[in-house]
Amino acid sequence: MFTTLIQDPPAAATPQGPDYATGIATETDKWGQLTKLASTFDDVDGLFYFTYVVCIFFFVLITGALLYSVVRYRRKTYDQPAASNVTHNTPLEVIWTVIPLLIVMVMFAWGFKGSLDMTYVPSDARQYKATASQWNWLFHYPNDPAKSRNELWVEIGKPAEFLLESTDVLHAFFLPSQRVKRDIVPGRYQSVWFTPTELGEFHLFCAEYCGLDHSKMYAKMHVVTAEEYADRPWDTFDDSTPEAAIKSGESIYQSACYSCHSVDGSKLTGPSWKGLFEKSGDQIVGAKREVIAGGATQTVTVDFDYIKESIHDPEAKKAVGYENANMTPFKDLNDRQIKAVIAYMKTLAQ
Amino acid sequence: MSHDDHHSVVIPAPGPEFKPHTVAHHFDTPVQEFQSAKLGFWLFLATEILLFGGLFAAYFYFHEQYPETFVVGGKQLDWRLGGLNTCVLLLSSWTMAMGVRAAQTSQKKKLLMYCGLTVLGAAIFMVIKFFEYKAKSDHGLFVFSEMLGGYDTATGQLPWFTDIHGVMAGVPHGHMFFAIYVTMTGIHGLHVIIGAGLIIWIMFGAAKGRFHAGYYLPVDLVGLYWHLVDLIWIFLFPLLYLVP
Amino acid sequence: MTTQVPPVETATPGVETERKTYLNVTKGFMSWAGTLDHKRIGLMYLIGTSAALLAGGLFALLVRLHLWEPTGMLFDNAEYNQVFTLHGVFMVFLFVIPAIPAALGNMILPLQLGAIDVALPRLNLLSFYLWVTGAIFAILAIVAGGFDTGWTFYTPYSLYTQQAVGLIGMGVFILGFSSIFTGLNFIVTVHKLRAPGLTWFRMPLFIWALYATSILQVLATPVLGITVLLVAIERLYHIGIFDPRLGGDAVLFEHFFWFYSHPAVYIMVLPAFGIISELVTVHSRKPLFGYKLIAFSSLAIAIISFLVWGHHMFTSGQSTYAMFAFSFLTFFVAIPTAIKEFSWVATVWKGSIALNSPMLYTLAFLIIFAIGGLTGVILGALNVDIHLHDTYFVVAHFHYVMMGSIALAFFAGLHHWWPKMFGVMYNETHAKISCALIFIGFNATFIPQFIMGSRGMPRRYATYVPDYEPYHKASTIGAMVLGVGVAFMVYYLVVSLLQKKRAMENQWGGVTLEWETPTPPPLENFSKPPVVTNEVYDYSKLDLETTITPAK
Ligand code: HEA
Ligand code: HEA
Ligand code: HEC
Ligand code: CUA
Ligand SMILES: [Cu+2]
Repeated sequence: MFTTLIQDPPAAATPQGPDYATGIATETDKWGQLTKLASTFDDVDGLFYFTYVVCIFFFVLITGALLYSVVRYRRKTYDQPAASNVTHNTPLEVIWTVIPLLIVMVMFAWGFKGSLDMTYVPSDARQYKATASQWNWLFHYPNDPAKSRNELWVEIGKPAEFLLESTDVLHAFFLPSQRVKRDIVPGRYQSVWFTPTELGEFHLFCAEYCGLDHSKMYAKMHVVTAEEYADRPWDTFDDSTPEAAIKSGESIYQSACYSCHSVDGSKLTGPSWKGLFEKSGDQIVGAKREVIAGGATQTVTVDFDYIKESIHDPEAKKAVGYENANMTPFKDLNDRQIKAVIAYMKTLAQ
Repeated sequence: MSHDDHHSVVIPAPGPEFKPHTVAHHFDTPVQEFQSAKLGFWLFLATEILLFGGLFAAYFYFHEQYPETFVVGGKQLDWRLGGLNTCVLLLSSWTMAMGVRAAQTSQKKKLLMYCGLTVLGAAIFMVIKFFEYKAKSDHGLFVFSEMLGGYDTATGQLPWFTDIHGVMAGVPHGHMFFAIYVTMTGIHGLHVIIGAGLIIWIMFGAAKGRFHAGYYLPVDLVGLYWHLVDLIWIFLFPLLYLVP
Repeated sequence: MTTQVPPVETATPGVETERKTYLNVTKGFMSWAGTLDHKRIGLMYLIGTSAALLAGGLFALLVRLHLWEPTGMLFDNAEYNQVFTLHGVFMVFLFVIPAIPAALGNMILPLQLGAIDVALPRLNLLSFYLWVTGAIFAILAIVAGGFDTGWTFYTPYSLYTQQAVGLIGMGVFILGFSSIFTGLNFIVTVHKLRAPGLTWFRMPLFIWALYATSILQVLATPVLGITVLLVAIERLYHIGIFDPRLGGDAVLFEHFFWFYSHPAVYIMVLPAFGIISELVTVHSRKPLFGYKLIAFSSLAIAIISFLVWGHHMFTSGQSTYAMFAFSFLTFFVAIPTAIKEFSWVATVWKGSIALNSPMLYTLAFLIIFAIGGLTGVILGALNVDIHLHDTYFVVAHFHYVMMGSIALAFFAGLHHWWPKMFGVMYNETHAKISCALIFIGFNATFIPQFIMGSRGMPRRYATYVPDYEPYHKASTIGAMVLGVGVAFMVYYLVVSLLQKKRAMENQWGGVTLEWETPTPPPLENFSKPPVVTNEVYDYSKLDLETTITPAK
């Protein structure tokens, strides 16, 4: 009924919001029903639609009986007695106990079987790891040092298993298009698997409340062909030229830092990156920052070491004005990547 | 017709040193009043048991998770002190029962004496507990020793758990045993203090002659409470001091 | 100035002396604040819980307005998180749990039992003041910086967040005891203060429902108490039980929380069932169909509800056995509820149906609850729940049961007993309009949430993917209609108190004991202790004259 409404083009990536996938996760067929996008579809959606029909049946039954009674047996004079005074009817009561019982037992068995199927990981599944931190995702690919943040590539038709790990609080790995969800509990290892059956871009949400930017903890999943997958599209890092380095730095910013740092001077959870570097003549130099280290305020000049320390060990020197805010350490950013980030920061200098 | 003359059953006092008791207006008979209060109180005791039930569940869960921690932790507790305290509480339960009996037979002096002895038992219990806590505190194992201490994420250092003698060094999450020990016995200790307070309140009433063979309901209820406090300790003692 | 009045009658002809009722026997602030009368305490609860509903509703409207735009309209993320948490906490702990038992139950239960008061009136007053204290703590927590944990307080986030979680934890702890004491009081009252002749199977079903509720309150709430206490100790001293960094377990917290909070949903809904059982028979003027089965199904629900808490944690990685058991029992709990629903419908069938506002609310309940309950059953299916968990589908499910069913049953009961409580009648036309607005607005708010939820819209999102925008917009519009409906209801109810249009002695023709005493009741409830000789809901004994005699 609402399906025609949802064809609007997705909002373009903006600094306030993540770069959302196109709206394919809610793609529907001409009946307004969701289309089949994953191997788990039949079980989950089949049962969903079965229960849906049962619901509609009972809903119509109950509403119909009520409406009919109200119209037919409406009290017209204040002393009108009831048309019947029966207080029970054993066969009827047995029927309406047994029929729902049978129906729910079908639902139970179906649902339980479906969930068992979800726990048997196919032996040819590719093993990924997803690390959730407040409020971003980091994906590790099998036997590959390159990782991607808030963007994920999987191969069509190939079962993908994810080991899930949290560095702080509870999160949940939720791919609506694949009908899978799993809580990510710090201190416990969990896993989830699915087989994508359709090419395209899909939403990956964090479905367990995890604080401030829970709603921005978003990743885009690309389901690609085997050839595209072989190209390792997640390894976009390139610092062969200064321009490429700036672009790589910006994409790191877009994928991991935008939620807390602005580039226009406005205040978010963390200090804006605008003003970290300043123009002095035609030189770009590090600005002076007030920081608190070990309880004492000191002034530092922004340089590679300071930025690196801010990223790997944010607690060591805290920017004045942000003493109570915390930044997730990004220990996996290596020196080359940090240099690219700095190259991007420098483009913000005035 | 006014509210008060609806029903006014009065239980006469057995002697001049006692006071008569007026049954609350919404009850028809003293028996009804007695039974209502008693039923209500048993339900309250059930909630107390469930409250501790949560703590026991946590105990068993972590005992399962870190059995060695509980073995080593349990050895740090002095079972002689715990055993002594068990005896003290058992005795005080007996004196309380005698107090109730004294109230039922209108023996004012005996009631006062037995209540006094029970409070004394509570005091001895708490003093022994204090020394046990003090020892733990000196060894850096006592939860409440560092008031409102923050936890240092970077070093993983817990301010209250300094484990000065390194007794828990070899086991995972050594603080867990003491966290559970102090929380359970602490909440139990709170109940001991509340119970003692209630008994003192009974003593004030007894001195005024409120309790006698015709009316001893509050003494009975406080007695039940005290037995519950005792009972919970009977479970705590072996679990914390002996089982590991 | 002296006037010479003959010292005979104080009452001049035409001006009747006011009959002494519980409302006017004594006056002044202290006569209310220190009252032990169950009706006055019930009334104070009614004011308090209604205020909580309006405050919670206001937060809900803010939530809906904010979600008009995908990027959020009113708040930043931090504020949004606080607002939805406040909404949930106010509605659950300050409104639904106490509303029906402590407000309407307090008022009606002793009357229906033919008793002068509840068994333990002082405890009753204490539990009211505990409620007030809990509410004050909630407000203090807001003043002290708010709290943003969601109403579920999941650790470890609730341990790390730098907000007033300790204060609200204390508030919830205290509210828990308020709830325990009400339940305890009712159990004792039902056991000990029934009027002569009022056997267990002559008790009105509202009493049965409150009795089953009370058992849950007494047995489940202490676990919530210890849980929030442990969270508070954890935040202050870091004992580590719920903190994974210290070897604790976050899933253990979830078990503790839901061990209370699942039974809690039946603490909320059973009294609503009681009201509906009562209302379908009175307004159909027909004995309840399957009385005993309804009575026993309340107890069955109370017992089974202790065994299904794990269905809130299907995605948290429980063992297969646990999943099996929890899912199975979840389906099982639907059966006694189905029996109730069908019995109500059968009661309406061939009745003498008066389409007045309490009955309209009752019919709305029957329809909405069928949807709410059946969507609960969908969530009980293991693999389907894995997809739907923590999406707006769940949000819509629990609003269908909590707002659409319980709040509507509360409104139904309020309209039904309003004439009894105050002796005045509201404007029926206004009441019908507002019921229609609420019904339409409600469905318009939450049907879109079912749809977007089944398509993956996660809950507790301050901003969202633009795909879901149309649903959110529809939902927001619905909420505004709903808000107008509720505000209108408050308006005409207040007006009825000012206008004082007399209600009838027995406005709806009920045959339970509360209608055998004058309207509104005197302080001591009955002028002579009632004796019950009839079977329950026997409308052949109804004295129709009382239904057209104005109350004095
Ligand atoms: C008063 C409140 C209330 C009530 C009555 C219910 C009733 C039910 N609930 Fe609901 N539930 C909540 C409040 C309530 N719930 C809340 C607040 C949450 C979310 C908490 C949070 O996470 O914040 C929740 C979440 C919730 C979940 C977890 C979802 C998730 O987070 O993933 C589940 C899963 O099983 C569930 C199931 C059920 C079932 C099976 C019933 C059953 O009792 C329903 C029985 C009723 C019927 C079945 C309808 C009437 C019968 C018929 C019309 C006859 C035909 C019937 C059949 C054929 C079966 N509920
Ligand atoms: C009894 C319980 C109850 C009730 C009645 C409601 C009622 C409503 N709720 Fe509630 N809701 C919850 C319990 C309840 N809710 C819970 C437990 C949560 C989960 C929280 C969490 O995730 O932690 C939740 C979450 C929740 C969300 C999800 C937030 C999110 O996940 O991000 C939304 C969104 O639409 C919502 C909307 C509404 C609306 C529109 C109403 C409407 O029905 C409200 C209707 C009432 C009114 C509109 C009142 C009218 C008032 C006025 C007109 C103002 C007058 C004011 C004065 C006189 C002072 N609720
Ligand atoms: C969770 C929010 C958050 C995220 C995500 C985040 N930061 Fe930060 N950042 C902060 C906060 C808060 C501060 C200030 C406190 C401090 O210095 O630790 C800060 C400070 C900094 C500083 C020092 C700035 C100054 O003004 O001195 C740098 C450099 C920095 N962050 C880089 C990054 C990079 C690079 C990323 C992404 C890879 C990132 N941050 C992601 C919150 C965040
Ligand atoms: Cu991460 Cu929500
Ligand atoms: Cu539940």
